This record gives sequence, C-alpha cells and structure tokens, in this order.
Amino acid sequence: MRKKMVSVLLCTAMTASMLGAGALMVHAESVELNVVTTFAGEDSNSKNYQEGLAGWQEATGNTVNDNSATSDETFKTTVVSDFEMDAEPDVLFFFTGADANSFVEAGKVVSIEDIRAEYPDYAANIDDAKIPTSMVDGKAYAVPTNGYWEAMFVNKTVLEDCGVAMPDENYTWDQFMADCAVIKEKGYAPVAAALGNIPHYWWEYSIFNNQTDLAAHPTVPEADAADAWVNGMEDVKAMYEAGCFPENTLSATDDETFQLFTQDKAAFLLDGSWKVGGIVGACQSDPEDPSTLDTEALDRFDVTFVPSKNDVRKASDLIGGFSMGYYITAKAWEDPEKKDAAVDFVNYMTSDDMILKFAQHSASPLKEAPEADTSVMNSLQIKAIDFGAKVTSYTPAVQDNFQGECRVPTFDGMPNIVTGEVSAADAVAEGFAIYAESAE
Amino acid sequence: MKKKKKIPPGTVLIYGVLTMWAVTTIYPIVWVVLNSFKAKDKIIVDSFSLPLGDLFTTANYKMAFDRLGIFTAYRNSLIISCSVAAAVILMAGMASFGLVRYQFKLRGTLMSLVVAGMMFPVFSTIIPVYQMQSRMGITASNSLFLNLLCVILPQIAGNLSFAIVVLTGYIKSLPIELEEAAYMEGSNAFQTFFKVVVPLTKPSFATVAIFSFLWSYNDLFTQMFFLRNKKYWAITRLMQMLTSKEGTNYGLMASTVSLVVIPVILVYIFLQKYIIKGMTAGAVKG
Amino acid sequence: MGANIYKNKKQLVFFLLPAFLFMIVYLYYPFFMNIINSFEKIGRLGTAPKGWNDPWYLNYVNMVTDKNMHTAMINTLIMMAVTIVGQVGIAIVLAILVDNIGRGARFFRTVYFFPIVISATALGLLFNLIFLYNKGMINQLMERLGATELMDWKAKGIALVTMMIPVMWQYVGFYFVILVTGLNNISEDLYEVASIDGATRWQRVRYITIPLLRNVMCTCAVLAVTGALKVFDLPWVMFPKGMPQGSTFLTGTYMYYHTIEAMNVDYGSAIAVVIVVLGIVTSKVVNAIFKEADY
Repeated sequence: MRKKMVSVLLCTAMTASMLGAGALMVHAESVELNVVTTFAGEDSNSKNYQEGLAGWQEATGNTVNDNSATSDETFKTTVVSDFEMDAEPDVLFFFTGADANSFVEAGKVVSIEDIRAEYPDYAANIDDAKIPTSMVDGKAYAVPTNGYWEAMFVNKTVLEDCGVAMPDENYTWDQFMADCAVIKEKGYAPVAAALGNIPHYWWEYSIFNNQTDLAAHPTVPEADAADAWVNGMEDVKAMYEAGCFPENTLSATDDETFQLFTQDKAAFLLDGSWKVGGIVGACQSDPEDPSTLDTEALDRFDVTFVPSKNDVRKASDLIGGFSMGYYITAKAWEDPEKKDAAVDFVNYMTSDDMILKFAQHSASPLKEAPEADTSVMNSLQIKAIDFGAKVTSYTPAVQDNFQGECRVPTFDGMPNIVTGEVSAADAVAEGFAIYAESAE
Repeated sequence: MKKKKKIPPGTVLIYGVLTMWAVTTIYPIVWVVLNSFKAKDKIIVDSFSLPLGDLFTTANYKMAFDRLGIFTAYRNSLIISCSVAAAVILMAGMASFGLVRYQFKLRGTLMSLVVAGMMFPVFSTIIPVYQMQSRMGITASNSLFLNLLCVILPQIAGNLSFAIVVLTGYIKSLPIELEEAAYMEGSNAFQTFFKVVVPLTKPSFATVAIFSFLWSYNDLFTQMFFLRNKKYWAITRLMQMLTSKEGTNYGLMASTVSLVVIPVILVYIFLQKYIIKGMTAGAVKG
Repeated sequence: MGANIYKNKKQLVFFLLPAFLFMIVYLYYPFFMNIINSFEKIGRLGTAPKGWNDPWYLNYVNMVTDKNMHTAMINTLIMMAVTIVGQVGIAIVLAILVDNIGRGARFFRTVYFFPIVISATALGLLFNLIFLYNKGMINQLMERLGATELMDWKAKGIALVTMMIPVMWQYVGFYFVILVTGLNNISEDLYEVASIDGATRWQRVRYITIPLLRNVMCTCAVLAVTGALKVFDLPWVMFPKGMPQGSTFLTGTYMYYHTIEAMNVDYGSAIAVVIVVLGIVTSKVVNAIFKEADY
C-alpha cells in the first residue's frame, strides 16, 4: 500500500516535470516574457489588454507569460516580495508613488533615461511632462498609458428635485455648503461618502483647497507648515457637523454610500474617473452586456467641478495625472535575450492606437492626442470627455506619497476627527511624526 | 390498517427546535442561489423575492463560464484539497495516537506547541514560507505539479494543528480495552493503530478530512501568493478574479459563490452517506 | 491509562515525526521569524526590515497604551464568552437532539453544515443586506411593524452585537459536526444495555452521552476560545477596519489591519505573538477546568 503510493507520487512528479520541460522546449527559439499588470478581473481595460497581448504575440512570435491580477493589498504585497526574492517579472505595470519605493531604491527597475540611451525611440510618442517620476530620486521609470482625475459626480434627479443648479467652474465652497443645506432640508443626503471606510477623496481635496501654492500640494510638508492639512481636516469636520454626509457615514461601507448615490438618495459623489464604469454598471442590468444599459437612467448622472475655497485653486483645478505605468526590470534589461523583447513590448502597448483605447474618457499621455472616438461611448463617458476639456490643471495626489502607517491618524482616524474626539491638529501632527520616523 | 402511533410531545418539541435552526441554515444558501439568477442591480432592491419573469437571468452564469476554464480550476482545486486532506489525516492521525497513548516527558510541551500552531495567523507566516519555497526552487515554475505543490505544502502544515487537536479529543474517548486485546494477540503499535484505532474512529477522520478539504478549498490568501498564472488557478482564485474590483457586482458574486459551494455540499453529502454512520444508527437509538 | 502496552519510544518517534517535521518547517520556523520581525522596523508586508526598533521591545510597550488594542482585547474576551455559551452550547443541544431522533437525522446533519461552506465574503454580504441601514431586511420589517425611524445596526453602541450574531451562527454548525462525530464514536451497545435496564431518554443522555462526550466537548471549548482570538474574515467583511471608530476590533482583525492595511508589519507581528500566547494560556485554562469537573 505504502510502496504503491510512493511510486504513484514519483510517477506524477516525473510526468509533471517532463511536461514542464517539454513546454519550455517548444518556446526555446522565441522569447518568453514574464509580465505582471493590474489589467485583470473587472478592470475596464482588461479586455483591451488581452487584445494587446494577443496582437503582440502574433506580430513578434514571442510569448507572454501573463500573471496579471486585480490591484489590491495582497497583489501589491506579492509584487514587492517578488522583487525582494529576485523573482520579479520582466515587465511590470504598477504604481509610481510610494508603493514603488522599495524596488526603485534597490535599483531593480531601469529608468526611461537609461533605456533611451540605447533605444532612442522608447516611449517617443509620450509627452515627457506627463511621465510620472519616482519619489526616491525624481527619475522617470514607468511609461503611462492613461491618466486619472478626481471630480464630483452629480445625481441630477436629486439636484432638480431640490431646485439646486448644476455646479459650474466657478463653484465656491460657500455655495456648496448652502446647496448642501438645501438638499438636506429636502430629506436627501447631500454627499455620498463613507468617512469611516473611504475618506480618501475628501481628505485629498480638503487639503488641496487650503493650499497657498498648488504646485506644493503633492509634497508632504514640514510638520510646522501644515496649516493646509489642519484646516482641511477642519473643513471635513464642518461638513460633517452641517450634516452633509449620510446619517451612517461613520458605520457604512463605501459600497453602501455609493448605492445611495445611484439610487437617487444622495446628490454628490467625490470620486475618481474610474467610477464612471461603476455608475454605468449600476445602470446596466447585465454586467457584461452594454445593450442592457438603461440610457435614461444614465443620463441622470453627470460629472462636474469641485468647489474651491480660496483664490489659489479654481474649481476647475483638479487632483489627477498619471500614477501608473510600464516598468522594465533590471532583470530583463540585463538579459540579452529578453532586452529587445521587453522594450518592444512596452513600445507596442504604449503605441498611439493602444493608448487611445486604454485612455477611454480619461486623460491620454500622448504628445499629440488624437480625437477620441465618441461613437462607441455612452453618455456619461462623453460628458466626462467634455468635462476633461474644461479642466484647467491637474495636480498629483499627496496621499500617494504619504502612505502606510502615516495615514492612519487622519484616514482611519477621520471619524474621531469629525466627532471631535481628536483634534485635527493632533491627528495631523501624529501622522507627520510617523512619516518623519519612517523617512529616516 | 395500522393506527397512527401517538407522537410524544417531547419529540414534537425536538423537531420544532431542530427545524427552526435548519431554516436559518438553509435560507442563506437558497438566498444565494436565487439571487444568482437575478441581474446585479435587482439584488439590492429586490434581494428577497423569487427570480421569476423579468427578474430571471442566466447572465451571471454565462459570464462565469465564459471567462476562462472553470473546469481546469475545479480540477486544480480537487488536486490541491484532496492531497491536503489525505496528508493531514494520515500525519495528524499518527501524531494524535502517539500523543494520547504514549506517556512521555515532552507531551505537555508538544500539546502546547500544537495549540500554538493553530493560532499562527497566515498573514504573519506567509512571507517566510514564500522565501523558503523560493529558495527550494519550487515557486514560479512552469510545471502544474510544482505550482500546486507550493500551495499544498503550507496548507498541510496549516491544517495539521487543528486536526491533531480534534483527533486527540476523539482518540482519548476510545476505550483502551480493545487495543489491549489486540496487544495480547501480538499486534504491534502500527498494526493496532491502522487495524483497531483507525476503523473505530473512521467518522472522526472523515470529519477532519472534510474540514481540511474545506479550508484548503476556501483559502484564497495562499493561492494568491503561489498560483500566479491562470493555468494553475484553483476555483477560489478564479472566483476572486471574477468578483474583484468594485465589490458591487453582487449577481456575479452570487453565481460564483453557488459554483464554489455546491461541489463542497455534494462532497459532504457523499461522505455522510458512505462513511459517517447514517440513519440506521440513529434509528436504533431512537 | 494503558501506558503499559505503549512503551516503545522508537515507535513514538515514528508516529510523531512526520507531522512535527512539517509543522517545524512551515509553522514554527516562520513564526520564529515573526517573533524577530516584531522587534524590527518593517513597513509594507514583503519589504525588508529597516533595522531594529528602539528599544527593541517598543511594540509591546506601545500595545499597553494602545486604545484600539484595549478594545480588541475586551471584544475578544466577550467573543470568547459568546462562543463558549452560544456556539458550543447551542451545538451541544442540537447534536444531542439530532442524536435522539430517527427520521430526518441525516437531513439535519447535512443542513447544519451549510453555513461553514459558504465563504465569509458571501456571508458578510448576506448579513450586510439583512442589517442594511437603507433598507435591509430588518429595517424593512421594523418599518412594517410601525417603526418610523431607520435603525443603524452598525452604529457604535450596537455594532458589536450585530457582528457577533452572524459569527456565532456560522460556527454553531462547525461544533455541531465535531460533536455529532463524537456521538457516532459512542458504541450502540451502551445505549441498548441502558434501554434494557429501563433508563429514560434523559438518563441515557445524562449518564452515557455527556460523560463519554467530555473529551470532545473539551476539544470544542479549546477550539472556541482560540477561535475567538483569531476570528477574522466575517467581522472584517462586515466591519472593515473595526468600524465604527475602531469599536469592533478583535485581536484577529486588528492584527490583519496593522499587517496589511496600515502597513505596519512589525506591530502586526507583535499582536500575532500576543494572540499565540493568549491562545496557549486560555487553552490550558480550559483543559484544567474540564479535568477537574469530573462527572
């Protein structure tokens, strides 16, 4: 009995390893690239990415070993620990903020400058001003495909019922607070947000709104120059006290408050350009089939500017930019067999045509961006493109550079701030103290 | 005609209590299955009604089946979870027997170690395990066998403690007389274990096997770390891919949950029928 | 107890070696690393340590004054009490009842198993819909019964109750299966003899079932208290980050929070060490109680 089991195991092991070896032999002549991206699952670009992969493999005869997965904390952990274990992929599509610090510091990815020294055409169609740089050394490493913005989505059904006008590019904070009071009076929640779960968007804009210099916003300030941060937190507290958020904003999840918005129970939603897909999905009864879209329902949604508090920031100055891109790892770069293929792959995936597909309604990083094809788009996407054209500036989010533990006092601590259990100044100071310690 | 037997009130009460609890356990499953046939936007508005007429759709299943090989994933899951369950009951059974029946100095310490092993959160052990397996050279290979092995090995270890805790409890309850009789007839410890103890505690082994199978089957975190390529994905990993990003696609979620849950229920019913003592046993007592 | 027939220590090594070898490599060694990690400075999971904490036991000192840790400990203690009384208690009653009926026993045994099979994510979603503020099953029901205001079941005062009910419900089935298996191990002959002697149903339960089930009940109690220390998935899905305001943290969810969400791996490791120490202590206590309370 025992012997039999051992022999069965051995046989399985042998066949398995032979099969493995066989698979390697077949591709011995062409190059096999290991690629990891976040274009997977329900990501709106996962289909475009798969088409791109197929196209490149067919055109070059190379193969891609694609290990893409949806971006979440587990995924980020696997990427970072792969670098630690020298098991990183050849090409990686990943974040450019603090998430990338560990492998940039370790010199495990190649800068665009170094690549261009040997391949002058690398990412030549991309506007250099739009290529994000690393926090570590200020160098550019990743080639972006599409940008993002954060703005205010609007439920017009609720606004019209309250007699509130659609906010425009001159929307001010006072107007906004007055509108919220009117909306609340009518029995709606003015702003759909779960402060206990995802305070990120209000956190970012409240700080942004109190800056005296827009360009300084993405940099974490010195602890004694953090007025914008403290005042920002105070603004969120004022909103909470004025009843701008849903009753259960401290105990609800983001999904719950998002549903308030799509079900005509809340007027405003501050969120990212990726939420367009979520709103469209909410108006579609079959998730896969765009023909089941309730276009009338979708027409009730729009996107607009974020109220401004001072003269420095106009309502049309948004948080946004490019925060992800394709990295080529040092491992692929130093492998003469893979070097060409990796460069070619990134060039293919960031060609004009591809970027047009990937950017959809968000910003494109191209030097000369052609007109987007609106015939294949839904009404909210078209509105988003028109809206994008009126945006006066994009500023990167400071929260991408202010990560991990430092966020805890003001992100997870937001409920304590708005309920007055912790003062805004103390919470901000605590975050900076952790930031200073981790920056050592 | 036989006259209907009078049912004692105690029995009525017993059935009443049992049925009440049964309702709470059956309803969620029914709820998930019913909602898997509804469009995702209807689930929130109308989650407690039947999927009839306009409400009915198979779109959720279509999507789950369209998006790459669900059957490959089932196969991978079965290989992983069956190997884990088999290895766990064999090793844990032997260890439990040793811990219960032998008197030795280190016994208390070893039992504490076993309990401790049950407490280790997987989040705190995964990185060293990952580094170790990388050094062993079995991660990120192109072989199905090695990829699955990467998941199987840590999962075996993860389930051993629980299995030993439960099996020692069962073996302790076993009257020693039968083993003594076997000893008198000249059987050695291994023979006693395999020919006397294992058959007597068969239901216990089945129970432990079921739980090991189940936890291995549902353990997403380890799968996320080691099964990177779609070819090697197990069913839970596939489900995660389908339902990730914007956790609001409840329809798809309900259909994938149904697809994940139903095989396990079938396995359980199968084991109930063939391994665990069935109705006849209960009837004798009643 | 029967020690005279099992004396050969070589055989013992053979019985113990495979399991413990596995656990040393895959559990004890990684956890040893975890203990070391709890003295280091580590940010995101998977990154290399940035040196030692100063003083090296800093995390353990911080834990003493950490308000969330206090909440987590208190909640976990409540959870232990609830699991012992609620989960194991209900499971014992159900198991003995099922053992005493003829028709339908297998049906009940099967359906009581259901809650353990459904993944925590799906269960969390289900209970979220039941307790949904606007407007889940319960709030719809209350409205029909005449309530005028919506009840926020996840608000600070009541959140803990809302969290514990589903957790309790889910694990009853787990202990039920373990106990029913224990009952199946009890020989039929004993019951038959007792019946012939004229024992009533209750007497059979009191003098045969419960004493013979003692070891298994002890196992369940150990599993319950240690389970309360590490329970994670269902509470996390329903109340991410200990919402609202950290009032629903348990030791398990708090450990996860620091390791994955707050990217403070060293502190998470320290919590893991505390969880393991508490697990060993409580299981010893449970064992001692069961040893003394002889029937």
